Parts: sequence; structure tokens; C-alpha cells
Amino acid sequence: MTVETVGFWLVAAVLLGSSLAVVLTPNLFHAVLYLAAALVATGAVFLLLDQPFLFAVQLLLYAGGVVTIVVFAIMLTERLVGERIRQTSRHLINGAIVAAAVFAGIAGFLLQAPPAGPRPEQTGDVTASIGRALVGPFAVTFELLGVLLVAGLIGALYFARSEE
Amino acid sequence: MDLSLLLPLLVPAMPFAAFVILAIVPPIRRTGRGAGALSIAAIAVSFVAAVIVWHSGFVGERTWGWIPADGGPIATVGVMVDPISNAMLVLVTLVSLLVQIYSLAYLSNERPGALGRYYTYQSLFVFSMLGLVLAPGFLQMFVFWELVGLCSYLLIGFWYDRPAAARAAVKAFWITKLGDLGFIIGIVLLWSATGTFEFSELFERAEANTLAVPGLAVIMFLIYLGAVGKSAQFPLHVWLPDAMEGPTPVSALIHAATMVTAGVFLVTRAEPLFALVPEVMAVIAWVGAFTALLAATMACVEGDIKRVLAYSTVSQLGYMMAAAGAGATPAGFLHLLTHGLFKALLFLAAGAVIHAVGTNDMFRMGGLFRAMPHTAIVFLIGTLALAGVPPLAGFYSKEAVLGGVWQAHLTGPFLMLALTALLTAFYMFRAVFLTFFGRAHAGGHPHEAPWLMRGPLWLLAVLTVVAGIRLAMSGAEAHEATPGWLPPFSVGLALFGFVLALAMYQRGVIDPARVARALAPLDYLARRRYGLDALYAGLYRGLILGFSRVIGWIDRYFVDGILNALTALTLRAGDSLRHIQTGRAQDYVYGVAFGVLLLFVWAQLWRR
Amino acid sequence: MIGLSSYLVLAALVFSIGLFGVLTRRNAVGILLGIELMLNAVNINLVAFARFHGDLTGLIFTLFTIAITVVEVAVGLAIVIAIFRVWRTVDADRLDLLRG
Repeated sequence: MTVETVGFWLVAAVLLGSSLAVVLTPNLFHAVLYLAAALVATGAVFLLLDQPFLFAVQLLLYAGGVVTIVVFAIMLTERLVGERIRQTSRHLINGAIVAAAVFAGIAGFLLQAPPAGPRPEQTGDVTASIGRALVGPFAVTFELLGVLLVAGLIGALYFARSEE
Repeated sequence: MDLSLLLPLLVPAMPFAAFVILAIVPPIRRTGRGAGALSIAAIAVSFVAAVIVWHSGFVGERTWGWIPADGGPIATVGVMVDPISNAMLVLVTLVSLLVQIYSLAYLSNERPGALGRYYTYQSLFVFSMLGLVLAPGFLQMFVFWELVGLCSYLLIGFWYDRPAAARAAVKAFWITKLGDLGFIIGIVLLWSATGTFEFSELFERAEANTLAVPGLAVIMFLIYLGAVGKSAQFPLHVWLPDAMEGPTPVSALIHAATMVTAGVFLVTRAEPLFALVPEVMAVIAWVGAFTALLAATMACVEGDIKRVLAYSTVSQLGYMMAAAGAGATPAGFLHLLTHGLFKALLFLAAGAVIHAVGTNDMFRMGGLFRAMPHTAIVFLIGTLALAGVPPLAGFYSKEAVLGGVWQAHLTGPFLMLALTALLTAFYMFRAVFLTFFGRAHAGGHPHEAPWLMRGPLWLLAVLTVVAGIRLAMSGAEAHEATPGWLPPFSVGLALFGFVLALAMYQRGVIDPARVARALAPLDYLARRRYGLDALYAGLYRGLILGFSRVIGWIDRYFVDGILNALTALTLRAGDSLRHIQTGRAQDYVYGVAFGVLLLFVWAQLWRR
Repeated sequence: MIGLSSYLVLAALVFSIGLFGVLTRRNAVGILLGIELMLNAVNINLVAFARFHGDLTGLIFTLFTIAITVVEVAVGLAIVIAIFRVWRTVDADRLDLLRG
């Protein structure tokens, strides 16, 4: 029982548990909070995979940004007083069956794959390599991402503006 | 191309040109009389050319390939010129010319457009008939055979807004088509056995006895069926009396002198082939004689003057066929020529009477001799010729027919033909007495016909007499070795018929009603045309219409039903499938998920 | 031994759970949360592959995915807010204008 193993199982448990909670809890606010937990757990998974930079990015953007946005959206679309957020889900069985089937399909492929070897040695500074890659081979993609962000910004602003 | 070839081609080419011009240049056609003038001019040229060809006695043949194939064309078109075709050329062009001139006066009341249509059809008819006569092979003959039938339909139904005329035209077409069916089957069978349609080749082989075709009797019988239809032999004779619904000049041309003789012409032309199958010849003779007798009995009880002449035509066609069947084809053909002349004369004269009196019913006429002497005289001449009184042309040809049948030792047909001769004289003089003599029943002012009508009448009458005299002088060729008692015998029959008609209708010595009662069963049957019309009508209504009703039901309920079911199915399927589009995004995600699952399954199967 | 397969199975599980959420949630925002989980699972997959094959491309891909996801959430929520303004509801069952 290595540290790695224990750590993995712990993080996995948290991740799975909070994911289930996200989709099952009737209260939408709680769901968002559980999502935050799941996102942090994902970051932990990244750490387990020796990617501290990605862990940081995950926490910053996802757990920080996305959760904030969603909270604001919930506030703007639900009446806080009176009609409490009724979050009944429907057709649980159908959804469960389909989701389970999809999982079974993916797992089937995974089981048929040849078992991979141990993880190789990680040489060098990954973060620096990422940085160099972003302005090197992936420069164009990076720039396009910037364009996408601008477009998304403008789009979101347009949609959310008040009608006057 | 030398003259001897150009002239025979010119004869049909002129009316064809007239037809084309009239058909595709409506302004000329609509002038009515202008169209008539064009048509008459064309046929006059044709007539002159025909006379020259006949006189020159040219014999020959020229064909062009029509349907090419390896080893020579399958079918050819062209002209075949020999004594019988030449004689037919003259007859057809002469009678057509006279009829077209006559029509100018007879149809003077028609609208110009209708008159133009009439002359278009007339030109087409003459062209078709000439093409038939000049045909060097069965196929061309059949093509023009059908064209002639078409023209008959068009001309019988000329007054198409009269229901009776329209019905008569369709009936003529149907009945002759039955015969034509046999004709074309016979021709094709003959071709498939011998490989050729051409007369010259077939006759050569027949003479040389190299025409060994299995079932030749059946084939020739089938070809004879075409003649049965076209020449109104029993049992396909029922269309001819009804065809009288057409204008009288049409009846004179088509149903006396030309179209109906096509059948006799066919049998005459194909005589070398028929001679190989004596059993079919016997059938032809018996059927011909029987038809002659049957039609004569029906003529005796008719009151419509045109119908009398129509039955008379059927009867005389029977004579011609009987002669051909007995092997005496020259006799039959001679009768065809003379009959063409005096029957056309009779019809045109009857037309003059109808034109003057306004009715066809003989019992409403009477005493017209004073009012229209010219017409009466020419009608009388025609009657004498038809009854077989010398020295008119009819006597010689009828005697030749009787002689030929007697010499072939066909006693049954001979007796039938003899009785028919008696009846012919009887009913024709009955018609004469009822129409021109006796008390005048006709109202109004019957007057003599205009010269445009009288001219052709007198010309035909003169020709009848002249032809008779010429036949009398060239006595040898007409009688080969006829028994000596035959000429007096036939004259005696004619005389007896005359006396009978005189007694019954002119002098009133014998009461026609008592005779009818005495012969009651015969009278009853004859009046109802021996039930044949009813039989055909019943077959038509029962079988054909019934069958078409069944087919119609199948079409409506099965075929349309299947289509309707399919359309309904499609619509309903669309309607139900519509509900898949719920508009909710999550349901669509379900769809995507299902698709992914399917892809998983497929990928798994593919990996195996 | 925690190998590549473990991470992949973990990611597959999270993906399925996210899919379940998308299929069953009635609230539009709830559906978006499910989508978030699915995208997360994808990220785990990418990083795991990158780590075990020594390839940098997976990490770059993950970065881009995260960035794009953020944009998508922003725009999606903007749409949800716009819908709410007009229809006064974000119930997915009631948003069926595309009904056939």
C-alpha cells in the first residue's frame, strides 16, 4: 500500500462522491458547491499525475471562475423567495440505464486494450516546456484561443445585456 | 425513271399531294369549294394517268427497300402493275372523280370547313385505295388496307354530331378490325414460314411447287378473314348496312365500288396461293354464296332505299367471292368491275332522290318518275344491269359467275346464287316501283337534280350500257364453256323476279302483307337481320364491356388502392414520427447517446 | 498498482455520471453542471495519457480545453439568462419551441 495508491483511492472517492451529489441533489445551490468540490478533486488528480501547473490552472479557472459564474447565473434565474428551487429530476431510470450503458461501452474498450507499462520518468520542467510549446508549435492555436475568448466575451455581454 | 414507271406512281401521288396540301394548309381547306376543286383536279390527273397505264397494257414491278436487314430488306414498298391492278386503277379513279364532282352539289349545304374536311378525307381515301391496289406485297397491302379502313371510319362518321353516324363508324371499324386481325396474323405466319412478303416471289414458288408451308390452309384462311371483314361476308357483314349513315356519295364510292371490293381484290390477287388450298377455296365459295342469299332476303323487307342498296352490295360481293372460291377468278373480277359501275350509279341516283325528297324511306316516296325523269331512267338502267338483263354489263358478269360456279360442280352454292338472282331482280324492281311509280306520297316539291349531280349519273349509265355492248361483242372471253342453258336460265330468273315485283307492288295483284304472313318465320328473321346484330351487341356489351368493367374495378380498387394505401401509410408514418421531435434538447441528447452506443456495438463487432 | 487504466476508468465513471446529469436534470443550469463534469472527465483522460506516454500535447490540449470550457459556460449561462428574461422559466421541459 503505497502513498500513491492511498492517495489515488482517496481522491477518487471524493471525486466520485461529489460528482454523484452534483447530479442527484435537488437543491441547485448545493449542486454548485458539490461541483466545486469535484473540480478541486480533479485538480488533485492532476497533482497525482505530477502536473502542478495544471492543478493551479484548474483551481484558478474552474473552481474559481466557473463556479462563480454559475452561482451568479443561478441567482439571476431563480426566485430566492417563494418558489424555492425545485429541482426534481425526471426519468431517472432511463438516464441511469443510458449512462451505465455508455460507461459499459467505454469500459469494454478499456478492458480490451493491452495493459500499459508503468509511468515513465518525468524529465525536465514540465511547466517551462508547456510555456515554450504555447509560443512555439502551438502559437497559432494560442492566438486563436484568444480570439475565441474575445468572441465569447462579446457574445456573453450581448446576451446578458438588459433590454432597453 | 421511264414513263412506264412514272405513270403508275403518278396515279396515287396526285391524291396524296392533294391530301397533304389540304391537311396542312388550313386556309385552302376552309374554303370548302376550293378544297373540292383541288381534290377533283388531282384525281382528274390521276384518272388520265390511270387510263393511259391501262391502255398501254404495261406489266411490271418496281420496289424500294423499306425495312432493311441482312440479306435483303424485310419489307419493301413499290408498285406492281398488271392487268387486274390497271383495271382497278381506272375503276377507282373514275368512280372517285365522279363521286367528288357529285359531292359538290350533294353537300352544298355543308359549312365550308366541313366540306374541306370531306375532301381531305376523300383524297386520303383515294390515295390509300390506289396504294392497296398497286401493292407488290402483303405488307404494303396491309398498311393501305388499314388506311382505307380509317378513311371509311372518318367518312361514315362525317356527320359526327349524329349519334347514329358515330356509332355506325365505330361499328364498321370494330367489325373490319376483327377480320384484319386474322389478316395480319396470316401474313406474319406466312412471312415466318417463307421469309418474304412479296407477291412475285410467293407466286413463283407456288407455281414451281416449292412453297411447302405447313399449315398453309390455316394461313390462307386467316388471310381470307381479312377479306371477310372488309368485303362484308357472313358473319362480318353487319357493318355495311349501318354504314349508310354516311353521306350517299361516300356510300357510292366506298361501300359499293372500291373499299369493299378490296377483299375480293385480295383473293383475286393472291389466287396462286389460294389455288394451293382447295379446302379454303371451298369455304370461300360456300360463304360467298350463303352471304349472297342471306343479304338478298334481308333486302326484300327493307324500307330504306339506301339499306336496300347496301344489302344488295353485300349480296353481290358474295357473288364475287363465290366465283373466286370456285376458281373462276376472272369471272369474279369482271363482276367486281361491272358492279362497281352500276352500283355506284344506283347509289348516286338514290342520293339524288333523297336530296330531292328529304327522306330515305321508300314507303314515303312514290310517283317520282314525273318529277325526276332523268334520275328515274338512270336508276332503271342500273336496276336492269343489277338484275342481269342483257345487253347490259351486269348480265355478262353475273352469267360468268354462275357459269364458273357451275363448272366447279358446286351445286349448293349454284342453287343459292340462282335463288339470289331471282330475289335481286325482285327487290330491285320493288324499289323502283315503290320509289318512282305508284301514288305519290312525298310532300313538298321533288325536283330534278342539279347538273353537277346528273352529269356523273348519265356518264355512269352510258358506261354501263357501253361496257355491256363491248362485252357482248367480245363474247368469247366472257364465256369459256358455259352450259348453253345458262343465259336463258339467268334471264328467266330476272324476268320472274320482275313479274313478282310487278304483281306485288305495282299492280297490287298479290298483297305483300299476305306473302309476309305466309312466309312469317322468314319474314320475322329477315326483319331482325337474323339476330346477328343483336348477337354482336350482346357480345360487346356482355363480354367486352363486362371485361372492361372488371379491369376498371381492379384498377380502381387494387392499383389505386395500393397507391392510396402507400400514401396513407407515408402520411401516417410522418405524422407519428413527428412526435420524435419534442423540441427538448435533453431528448436529443438521448438520441446522441443512443447513437454512440450503436457505434460502440459496431466497433466491437468490427474488431472481431 | 495504479496504472493508466485506473485513471481512464475513473474518467469514464465521471463522464457517465455527468451524462446522467445532463439527461435527467430539469433545470437548465443543472444541465450545464452535468456538462462541466463531462468535460472534466475528458481533461483527466488527456492528462493521464500525456503523463503515461510522455507526450506534451495532451497537456497543451488540456489547457485549451479548460479555457474553452470557461468561455462556453459563460456564453451558455448568458443564453440561460436571456431565456429567463423572456420566458420566466428555465425548466428544460418547457423550452420546446423546436417541437415538430
